[in-house]
Order: sequence, then structure tokens, then C-alpha cells
Amino acid sequence: MTAATMNRSTLWSVDSRTIVYAAVGAALYGVLVNVVKIPLPGSTVDVRPAFALVPFFGFAFGPVVGFFTGLVGNMIGDQISGWGLLTSYNWSIANGAVGLIAGLAPMFLASWLSRGLAQKAIAGAVAGSIGVVIGLLITFTDIIKDAQDVNTSVTYYTQAVIGDLVATIILVPILVYAWEPVKERLGR
Amino acid sequence: MNFAPRYLGRGSWLARRDPRVLILVVALFVTTALQVWDLRLMVVLFAIAIVYYRSARIPFRAVRFQWTFAIAFVSLVVVSNLVFASGRVQRLPPDAVQHVYGHLPLFGTPVSAESVTFAVTQWARFIAMIAVGLPLAFALDPEVLGVTFARLGVPYRFAFAIDLTWRFVPSFLADFRNTVDAQRVRGLELSSGRVRGPIAKVRRQIPVLVPTVVNAIAGAEDTIDAMDLRAFGTGRRTWFRELRFDRTDQLVLGGFVALLIASTIGAWTAGTALLWVPSFLIPGG
Repeated sequence: MTAATMNRSTLWSVDSRTIVYAAVGAALYGVLVNVVKIPLPGSTVDVRPAFALVPFFGFAFGPVVGFFTGLVGNMIGDQISGWGLLTSYNWSIANGAVGLIAGLAPMFLASWLSRGLAQKAIAGAVAGSIGVVIGLLITFTDIIKDAQDVNTSVTYYTQAVIGDLVATIILVPILVYAWEPVKERLGR
Repeated sequence: MNFAPRYLGRGSWLARRDPRVLILVVALFVTTALQVWDLRLMVVLFAIAIVYYRSARIPFRAVRFQWTFAIAFVSLVVVSNLVFASGRVQRLPPDAVQHVYGHLPLFGTPVSAESVTFAVTQWARFIAMIAVGLPLAFALDPEVLGVTFARLGVPYRFAFAIDLTWRFVPSFLADFRNTVDAQRVRGLELSSGRVRGPIAKVRRQIPVLVPTVVNAIAGAEDTIDAMDLRAFGTGRRTWFRELRFDRTDQLVLGGFVALLIASTIGAWTAGTALLWVPSFLIPGG
């Protein structure tokens, strides 16, 4: 059940495959997000290469997997690091939204997915980027949740989008390229 | 540095509670704290959070990294908020005036009694929420994670997914370390000392990130097959462990529910959702 073979009716199905891929994605993201962080010059935000897993899992395995990977993965990452599971729950929901939107690619990038591997890889980056820009808008709820100033929220949003776009645009196509032949070999 | 969650609070007073208590308390406490901007009440919540955290008896040396990160990150966030806000202070009572001490060098951001109080309250709030949340990683029996979420109303498939996620964490961490070691043996230099720019540094992670991810997904096939063979998803499932709230659990939950109700009423009627500035911070106050 990958993006190429998913259609609108199977997009929301939840079977054992969905559950296991969701758990794999969330665990990988939760672990790796704390291990590798690359400071973005001139900002307080890090580029987290592991973030690319959120749009990748959404794109490759569907919106349910993408949402779970972002939501639960971010919560686990926050919990393990010491930041706390629910301290920034709105950022976890925003991460989930990124995976969900990337997982909806068969609805808005259907023609790209039926072409070759190169187009599919580009579609992954495009879907992930759209997911990042739209999904992270949820972080503006900090204005209500933490009584945050609007300028501060705009700054954090912009920094997070830049950092996550760097990871998404570079790594999602590579992950699609790496995963597709393995998927074929596994007969999925 | 060990990132993997460990059951460090085993046998403590908090670990003996019904595991649902630990999750519900975090949700109740976070909702409570989010409504409070009165520093006097925040100090009370802070004290409750510390007492609650201490009841998990988590050895400090085992979570020193987590606390160092939490305190450093919270401080960074609070200072960043102060700078980015450019002197605007939220949650001030109507008609309140700011008592400015001076301006931050370089940024020119005014620093006032009100902005300092806002920063201190925000800092205490984040640390209190972290103190209440940390036992979830270290004082919750990982064996009962699935049933805990299922009994909290999460559909059993997703409760199982959460359980599975937690179980995958240590093995994926070990796989990642093995991959790093294997690539280093092949001559890959991961420490990005001579590499400049974030894009080049991200590209440098590809040889460890991609194999770790693809191996994890491919390896999950066995788990999928095992679940399919046990007819996962075909009907309602039961869980091996039964959970029951005892009297202490009910009292703990009752206490945190009362705290939430009190903070909600206080926010609507007594102005506890507004900033309270200690008089000693006000020049000439």
C-alpha cells in the first residue's frame, strides 16, 4: 500500500500494515530527531534531518501513517529529550498534519505518481513541502496556548518551515528512491 | 548518552498507580497550567509538580541529560520570546503600564518589570509541565502501555500502535548506532567539522539515515505477518492485563481535577489568567 497504488478508497483504511508502518515511522522519528540536529545559522532553530521521515511516511504509506508518525513521533521525541509529551502538544499536532497532508498526495498529485521513479521522488518532495508550509500553520496556536506575541510566532514558524523544508526537499526524494526498489523486491 | 526510555521509577509510589493516572494527570495539569499567569499560583503549581515528580523516585544521574536539556531549552525559549516580542507583554491587566528598566543591547528590546515577570512565569510553567510529564517516560510500565491507552478510549488498533512504537524505540536506536559504526568503519566522517552550511551537513547524514529507515521498514514485514496470522483487526480484542483504579488513584485524580476546576474558575472570575507583577520588581513600588 504505497502512494503509487493507493486510491481514494484505500487512503483511510487501517489494517495491520498501517499500524506497523505507523509505529515504525513514529519510533524512528522519535529516536532520530534527538540524535542529529544541525544548527541553522542566524536562528534558534535546528535542521532536523529526521523530520523528513514525517512527510516520507505520509507520502509512502498514506495519511493515517503520516499523521501518526508526526504526532506520536514528535511526542515521543519530546518525551525522551526531556521536553515532555504534552508540553508543546500543538507542535506535535502540526507535525501530524504535515504527514497527513503529504499522505494526501494521491488526491492532488495523482498524475505524477503514475509516472516514473524520478517523478515520484519529486512528487514526494512537493507533497512534503506543501505539508510543511500548511501543517506548521498550526503552531500559531501558541498565540493562544502560551500567550505568545504574533511576531514571535511568525519568527518561530518561518524558522521551523525553513529548517524542515531543507530536510524534506533533500531527504524525501532520496528516501523514495531507496524505498521503491526494496518495496518491489518485497512484493508490496 | 542514553536516549532510550527506561523504567527507572519501578516500585515507586507513582509507578504503583494505575498507569492511566500518569497520563490523565499530565493532561489535567497541562490544561490547568495553561490557564494560569499569576506568578503566585504558578509557584504553587510548580511545587505540586516537583512533589509529584519526586514521588516517581527517578534517579537524577539517569535523567541528568533530560533535565539539562529541558532547563537549557526552556531558558532559550523564554529569552527568545522576550527578544522577539520587542517589548510587547501579553496577559497584562487592562490599563496596566510597563515599568521599563532599560533596553537589551544589540536588539534594543525594552526590559520591564512586566516582561521579566512574564518570562519567569513562563519559565516556571514550562518546567512544571516537564516535571509532571517526565515520569511518563520513566515511571510507566512499558508492558501496559497498549492497554492503558485502550482503556482511555483510544481505538485498540492505535493503542496497539502506540505500544509497538514504544517497543521499537530501543531496537531502532541500537540499529542506528550499528549503522553509524558500520559507516565509520568504511571511512565515513559524520562529525561535520570541515563541512560548511546546513545543506551539506544534511546531505552528510544520508549514508546513515537511509539504511536505518529502509532496514526498519523492511524488517517490519515480520511483525506485519505475525499480526496477520493472529487475525489482527478482524474483531474486538481483549488485553492480558486488567486495569483498576484504587482509592489512592481516585484521590490523586480527584485532586488534579479540582485543581483544573479551580484554575478555570480563577481564570474567569479572579483574574488568575492575567499577569501578576510582584511589587518588589516595580521601581519605587
